[in-house]
Formats: sequence, C-alpha cells, structure tokens
Amino acid sequence: MALKLVSRKLGSKFLPMLSSTSPLHSHATSFGFKHVREEEKSQMVGNVFSSVASNYDLMNDLMSGGLHRLWKDRLVSMLNPFPGMKHLDVAGGTGDVAFKILDGISSIKRRANQDPINDHLQEETQIHVCDINPNMLNVGRKRAIERGLGEDKSLIWVEGDAEALSFEDNTMDGYTIAFGIRNVTHIEKVLAEAYRVLKHGGRFLCLELSHVEVPVFKELYDYYSFSVIPAVGELVAGDRDSYQYLVESIRRFPPQEKFASMIADAGFQKVEYENLVGGVVAIHSGLKI
Amino acid sequence: MYRTAALARRLLSGATAGNNSNSRIRYLNHRTTVIGSRYCTAVNNNHSFPQSIFNQNQTPRANLEFPNQSESTSSSNWSTSSTAEDGRQRQERQRPRIEYQEQQARVLEASLHHVLRLGWSEEAMIAGARDVGVSPSIVGSFPRKEAALVEFFMDECLQKLIDRIDSGEELQNLVPSERISKLLKIRLEMQSPYISKWPQVLSIQAYPSNAPTSFKQRAMLVDEIWHAVGDEGSDIDWYVKRTVLGGIYSTTEIYMLTDSSPDFRDTWAFLDDRVKDAFDLKKTIQEAMYMAEAVGAGMGNSFQGFVRRVFQR
Repeated sequence: MALKLVSRKLGSKFLPMLSSTSPLHSHATSFGFKHVREEEKSQMVGNVFSSVASNYDLMNDLMSGGLHRLWKDRLVSMLNPFPGMKHLDVAGGTGDVAFKILDGISSIKRRANQDPINDHLQEETQIHVCDINPNMLNVGRKRAIERGLGEDKSLIWVEGDAEALSFEDNTMDGYTIAFGIRNVTHIEKVLAEAYRVLKHGGRFLCLELSHVEVPVFKELYDYYSFSVIPAVGELVAGDRDSYQYLVESIRRFPPQEKFASMIADAGFQKVEYENLVGGVVAIHSGLKI
Repeated sequence: MYRTAALARRLLSGATAGNNSNSRIRYLNHRTTVIGSRYCTAVNNNHSFPQSIFNQNQTPRANLEFPNQSESTSSSNWSTSSTAEDGRQRQERQRPRIEYQEQQARVLEASLHHVLRLGWSEEAMIAGARDVGVSPSIVGSFPRKEAALVEFFMDECLQKLIDRIDSGEELQNLVPSERISKLLKIRLEMQSPYISKWPQVLSIQAYPSNAPTSFKQRAMLVDEIWHAVGDEGSDIDWYVKRTVLGGIYSTTEIYMLTDSSPDFRDTWAFLDDRVKDAFDLKKTIQEAMYMAEAVGAGMGNSFQGFVRRVFQR
C-alpha cells in the first residue's frame, strides 16, 4: 500500500499532466493531452492513421515486441468463433483480427467433422471489417490477397464510422474492436451502437491499451512510452507526432474499472475484463441478453 | 448451509405451486437460483477471469430469495469501487443481471440434447444455443466451456436426487445398506443415457482446472446420501463414511462404463456387493476393536498378576 502511494507520488511528479482528469462529455474533447474541438478530433485521428497506415504493422511489432499478435490471439480465443458466425470487427482495417477469426473458424470446422449440420454453415460465415479510414482498409485488402483470401466471400470490407454503424439491429453474433475505441470521439456512442447491432447472446469484446498500476513496472512503462516510442516512430516511420499522440491517447483512455462500468451502462451484462502484461492492454467483454 | 439453501428454495417453489397462472416464469427464476448460485459451480466459476467485477455470485441469489435485502447486498458490493450515485445506477441493472444466468442455463439445458451426437463439447453447446434462439456467441461467455455443461448436468442430477429423497416413499422400509445402494442406483441411472459419452465427462472432470468443482460436487452428493440414510454423526467416522461411499460411487461409475448387460444388471449387482462389503468391513473393524479391548484387558490382568507375584516375593 505504502509502495503504491509512493509510486503514485513519483508518478505525479514525473508526469504532472497525467493526473489531470477531464470529464469525457465536454465539447472540447481530447487529442492526446491536447484539448481540441469535437469536430476536429476525428479528422486529426484520421490524419494520424493515414500517415501511419503503411508502416502500421512494422511499428506494432516494434513497439510491442511482437506481443500484439499474442494479444489478438487471446482476443479471438475469448471470442470463441464458430461456423456460420456473423461478426463485426470495428477499427480492424488491417484485417489482423478478422484473419485470426477466419482461421479459428476453419480449425473448428476441422474438429467438427462429425456434425454434418455445420457444413453448410461454413458458407454463411461473414466477417465484416469496418474501418473509418480507407487507407487502413486498403492495407487489409492487400494483405487478404497476399494470404490467398482475396476471393473469400466471408470477408467483407466496409468503410464506416463506429459511432453510426450501417448495420441493422440484432444482426451480429460478435463485435470486436482492437486498439480502436481509444481513438473515437464518443465512447458511449460506440458502445450503444455495438449493443444495437448485436443479437441476443452476442458478445462485445474490446482489446485496448490500458493502464498499468504495478508500481515499478509502471515507471518503466511510462519511460518507455514517452521516451522510446516517439523516438522509434520518428526513426522508422518518420512521424514523431503520430506516435506521441498514440502514447498520450493511451493515458487519456478511462481506466479498466471505469471503462467496464461504461460497458455495463450501455446495457451489457457479465461485464468482465482481463489485464494482459500487467495492464498494458486489457480485454473487456460484455454479453448482450 | 447447503441444507438451509435447499430449504429456502423449497419454500420458494412451494409459493410457486400455489400460483399456477405464472408458474412457468417463476419456474425459470427458480431454476436460475438452483444453477447459478446454490452451489456456485456450474455457471459462475470464473477461474480464468480474476477481475470479474459485476458478477458477484451472491448478488442474484440475494435478490431472488430475500428480495427485501437486495438493497443492502448490492450497495455493499459497490461501496468499495463506486460512489453512491454509481451504486444506484447499478441497482437499476440488478434485475436484468439475473437474466444472463437464466439464458446460460437455458442454453446448457438445450445442449444436453446434443450430447449424444456431439459429445460434451462446444459443438453441442453451439447447437443448444441455436435451439433456444440465442446467438451461439454466448458459448464464449462460459469460461470453462464444456466443463460448464458437465457441471450443469451434475447439479441437475443432484437436484433430481434430492427431490426423489424428499418425496420419500421409496426409502421408507429399507435398512441403511439397502438405502445406500438404492440411492446410488437412482443417481447412476440418471447418467445411463449418456453412458457412451461418459468417459469424456470423467476426463473433463479430471482436468486440473475442473477438478476442484467436480470433487466438491461429488462430496455434496455423498453428503446428501448420508443425510438421506439418516446419519447425523459428526465424529471421526464422518470422514471415513464419506470416503468409503465416495469410493463406492466412483468405482461403480467406472464399472458401469464397460457394463454391457441389459439394464446394467451387472453394475447393480456389483454395487450391492460393494455396499455389503463396506458394511461388513465396518462390522469386522468393530469386532476387531472389541477383540483388541478384550485382549488388552486380559493382558493387563495377567501382567498385573505377574507383577504382584514378583513383588510379593
């Protein structure tokens, strides 16, 4: 306990701006640590992702030491995909999560040979990949072709806004959003939309960079985030500001408990979260009944 | 504690019986209590989710069984992590929270129909979810998937057994050893429809992550049977009795797997023999103890006599 207090004090000295909290419902929203007008945020986020799209995967690997693949694997294994599933992956432009889900379903298909009912269901599988940014979607389409999935009918690429989805009510079995919800202007709206499109029994899963509370590790992580990542971003992608925004937006994101209660307020039940690597990322899940 | 919960439940179902018009709905609620909270085994065991924050196992049960206490329960759950206002918001969500366990139970029950075809597997649960018109995604919300199905079945069997015990007429004129074999037979007959897939159950239960729950469920079963036999003792014998009965149950269960005689006739003969053995063993031990006492007393006397003679001299 004392250790925690000390670390918190150190933390607040070390990064005075971190402790300042601002209500989420203000007209001036946050872009990293900067306050910007709501209308500007989506455009600024759009610029960030347009500029990093080409190096996105390389940078993810560099920044997370390859761990982001394992995190996404964990997300998909928690989702428990099944043949005939209608899934919506929001902010998944590069298709990482969508490919993993497809793999998961086809491996289930292999295991489920004894159930003849599943055979025709395999054809009905639909994975919608929705992203607000066309550049990211293009990266995903290219990678689908590289993987030999270019002709796969179950992958559907959609350009759309997570706050106003173009899908009907009660149509999706699953909803995932990996490293995306941090970048939206209104988290509540995104959650409400997720709740709307999901079927009864459908699940919401969110993989997001979150808050580390483990004392010494927290200091290390902060140093890494604020000193190493922007430098690497400048070196590899030639874009310091985008990565500065990345680490700042992580600190702006509501902590695990708070975000979980936001999910519950959107109407989800059985809201749970799991911290990975001491809270560097967290997977939140909710069930619509 | 377990008995008390059972009593409360029975009272609840008694109230239901008086009100036939909406007994169907009540029945569902009632079942949720059974599965979700009474044993806290089947649906709610969040081994792999250490931070399951909105699902304190006790909350739904408190709401169902003691409606007037729900306020205090929920606010105490929340006092640690939220303000009073938050607590009130959560309060509004108390009622629907019971729903998801209800849905999960419905899915599990429907899944049992697919077990013979698909085994105790995720596929069976997916098929079950489709049957009740819920998205199969819900299967992902069971942390230990097929173990949840197995545990649900075990809980249900135990519940049926308790109901049979409480109805009571079959056991009236039997001596304890016959009662025990009768009860074990009733319980084992419940799993006979699934016998071709039963080895899978045993392997699922033996998984390190599932073993504690399955052990607990077996202990409850054995305990319930001893209660039905009328054993209220609490001496060292208590453990011996439960261990022996647990052993008989498990061996018979395994014997049953390879029994191809019509109606498992061999199994029931085997069961009767084992129960008889156990009671014989108890007698043998008692006789041995009497004997030892007698011998001890005799030895003591002759030793005393010997010493006396030595000192007299």
